[in-house]
Amino acid sequence: MARISYIVLVSLLLWSVPQQIWAHGGVVEEEDLCVIKVNYLRGHFKIYQPLIDGHREYCEDLPNATETVFVMEYLHDSLGAAAVDFRIIRDVTGKGRFARWEDVAEVDDLDSATVFYREPTIDPDLLTVVHDFKEEGDFIGIVTANVDGDQKIYRAVFPFEVGFTGLGYWPFFIALLIAIQVQYLVMSGKFKRWRQRGNLVALLFIMPLLWSGKTVAESQTEWQSARGVYTVTVTSSLEPIEINQMHSWTLHITADGEPVSDAVLAVEGGMPKHDHGLPTRPRITEELGEGDYQLGGMRFHMRGDWEVSIEIKAAGKTDTVVVMLTL
Amino acid sequence: MSLFVRKALVVVMVATTMLPNPSFAEALSWIEAEIGMLRSLALGSLPPLPDDVTNLVADDPRAAAFGQQLFFDPRLSATGGVSCSSCHQPERRFTDGLDKGQGIGQSKRNTPSIVGVAYSPWLYWDGRRDSLWSQALSPLEDAAEHGGNRLQYARFIESTPEYREQYETLFDPLPDLADPDNIDRVFANVGKTIAAYERLLMPGRARFDDYVDAVIANDTNAQQALFSPDEERGLKLYIGAANCTQCHNGPLFTNNEFHNTGVLSYAGDVPERGRIAGVREVLSTQFNCRSNFSDAAKRECAELDFARSGYEVMGAFRTPSLRNLENTAPYMHKGQLKTLAAVLQHYNDAPLAMIGHNEAKPLELSNRELQQLEAFLNTLAAPLATADRWLSPPSSSFTNYGSEEQQR
Repeated sequence: MARISYIVLVSLLLWSVPQQIWAHGGVVEEEDLCVIKVNYLRGHFKIYQPLIDGHREYCEDLPNATETVFVMEYLHDSLGAAAVDFRIIRDVTGKGRFARWEDVAEVDDLDSATVFYREPTIDPDLLTVVHDFKEEGDFIGIVTANVDGDQKIYRAVFPFEVGFTGLGYWPFFIALLIAIQVQYLVMSGKFKRWRQRGNLVALLFIMPLLWSGKTVAESQTEWQSARGVYTVTVTSSLEPIEINQMHSWTLHITADGEPVSDAVLAVEGGMPKHDHGLPTRPRITEELGEGDYQLGGMRFHMRGDWEVSIEIKAAGKTDTVVVMLTL
Repeated sequence: MSLFVRKALVVVMVATTMLPNPSFAEALSWIEAEIGMLRSLALGSLPPLPDDVTNLVADDPRAAAFGQQLFFDPRLSATGGVSCSSCHQPERRFTDGLDKGQGIGQSKRNTPSIVGVAYSPWLYWDGRRDSLWSQALSPLEDAAEHGGNRLQYARFIESTPEYREQYETLFDPLPDLADPDNIDRVFANVGKTIAAYERLLMPGRARFDDYVDAVIANDTNAQQALFSPDEERGLKLYIGAANCTQCHNGPLFTNNEFHNTGVLSYAGDVPERGRIAGVREVLSTQFNCRSNFSDAAKRECAELDFARSGYEVMGAFRTPSLRNLENTAPYMHKGQLKTLAAVLQHYNDAPLAMIGHNEAKPLELSNRELQQLEAFLNTLAAPLATADRWLSPPSSSFTNYGSEEQQR
């Protein structure tokens, strides 16, 4: 059984290779990321057909002639400053998947071949357009970025197919693969063993977690910087610290027991387990003297473990203190 | 997701199914940390409504009475047919049952409830306003909503004797409307009275709040009388495995912050940028906390001073309260999800966001557990704490507003 599923897997992989080779236009797949290259400027490219496929992401070819959302998240700041336009034409070049800008430039009447055009727009973060494809067929997308006024025009040209059949067998193969795998696991008894063992191990791990709940901020107020240069004592204007309330901290900074003055502080914070930061952008609002600094704009918007990192620069020495607290 | 977390979830799921059969159920027991969490969610933990330093009439009952009249008055529109209450309907917890609001045209977003919203530092789904009064002004001039303009409204106050009288009692005598600054001033004051009214709209005690009291009193009989076993388990999931309290925390069940939860774009629309655009707008809008029309000293605008932007809030929208969900479907910023069940399924799946990054992680809860969560959410339904007379158009524009005590 295992051998059969292995064979199916390998043949599936082999079968999918030509698609990767075709994907050579302005859009390429790089380590699971669909990337559009507008000359050297890159964007994370995603295409959706939300009415039919919900959140499913496509990179180039699209299964249906339907409402389609194109998203290009800029991976390069220059794109955020550029006027970017977006055009979709029917493939009238006859070059299909090998169409390049030179082929598109030869089209006499680009406008009559155009099915969608969005005017050049400057957006600091991304490009989004929605177009309802009325018919299946071969199309070419053209993204043009006008960087620095008229000085530089960069383009990405990506041929794609709407209503393509290439994915038609995928669901079948995947279903087959799953069926084979499940049958193998059940017949070999591995599933049962895995479940018993897995549960026990997980239970051992989860028990301490269940009993370690804390409801108040930790009482530690003094923190050492990573390389031991500075000591920071934190006093909160809100005690105990509650979630969702703006407050300030007073930071008392010492080095070798002496108050540190004229320090430049940079503060960042977040929840390591939730990969997000603070809801606010706190900063030093006042140096109070005697090594005291007022840190304004503190607010935590969730219970849980928080880290606030304070980078301290004073008298040529830079070190970072990480204040950890549990709310 | 790591194998460990998966296994942990399996254990939680298995543990849930091993709980006693409902027919001979005992009240769930709660450990101390959980009781702390329950207490933090109960209405008793709601602090007094913070002052609105940008609005000197925010807590003046005369302003609230005036604001109530304006809130329900369709003459504040280009057509004479749209009032604030056209979309913010009191009988629907101040929502309208539609995907997107319907004024003169269709608005861009779902009509949010305004119950308890006075606690939020930010208004609108994307927080593009920083006070209730400045928020109230935007729809009045939005072509798809009320469709009028500030000159029209200032003249309307000027030419409507009962409104003019109330206005001049609260503020200065109506100024000369030939000066654009004066028009802006009158317009801002209109917003401030509507804000004073909206500050009265507060959620009432729900069955959940009684349940928490029973838990704190360790009264298991009362717990069982108040909550079904499904509702109890739903609550346990709510504060535990379902991660809901990451955002829907505190006594209003919201942190009033902005989160990208990967909601699908609306048919015909591109995915919305949400907070990242909202921050840009609120920092530049004419009527923000730092403006001359705000009653706050500029150094009191801490929210604006410390507002966070950046790609982290791309596609992020404000967490709505979960109190009073009854009658407020459809959900999400464009009404994309029609039922609570669909919302819970969405969070269970936690799909990749179309733009930005979905903060939510797949929950891997069973259908049964999702039903229990929904059962729990329905225990938050309750009549508003606000007195009935505030929840309908005032019977007469000539209410005896000067002598009445403010009721909540």
